[in-house]
Amino acid sequence: MSATAEATAQTAGRHPAVAVALAWIFPGLGHLYLGRRRTALLYALIVTVTFLLGLSFEGRLYTIDRSQPLSILATFAVSGSGILNLAARFLSDNPSGTILAPTYEYGCAYLLTAGLMNLLLMLDAWDIARGKK
Amino acid sequence: MIASILPVDHFLIMTVYAVLVSGFFALLWRESARERRRLFAILLVALVGGGLAVAWLMYPFPS
Repeated sequence: MSATAEATAQTAGRHPAVAVALAWIFPGLGHLYLGRRRTALLYALIVTVTFLLGLSFEGRLYTIDRSQPLSILATFAVSGSGILNLAARFLSDNPSGTILAPTYEYGCAYLLTAGLMNLLLMLDAWDIARGKK
Repeated sequence: MIASILPVDHFLIMTVYAVLVSGFFALLWRESARERRRLFAILLVALVGGGLAVAWLMYPFPS
């Protein structure tokens, strides 16, 4: 069996929407659902470490501020981290970050990147489930 | 918190970021292990080297 046929057989019966939803809930979960265990583990590790470093650097978990239109995009990006984002908002004593911290900008960049990475993983899970990859 | 343990070193934070981003895109864009290692190395050098190049270009400018 060729690699492509094997990959298609592996994802047969897997619903793309479920893969995308799982991918949003936790990084790598969509790929795990699609049978790609090793990459799922690596994705989970990379995105989670990026997110936790962002929190550790006292970055901001953005919320929509109507006076700042770009905050809509930032909120969308951070929301891509799924349960990590939700858990951090509820559990963190400082979800707005510390703007005076020397690492604040780095923290924001790490948090935004983690969310955007997971959004890409959702699209990747969709493509794999549809047999495009 | 990790930030309180690690020194606030701009180069270290940039390099860690480059490693994470390079690893992510190498996994996402390539299928075989050999191709992934190659892309990881290219992206890492480009990100860290690009960062240093921009920093060097900006160095003469006063704040």
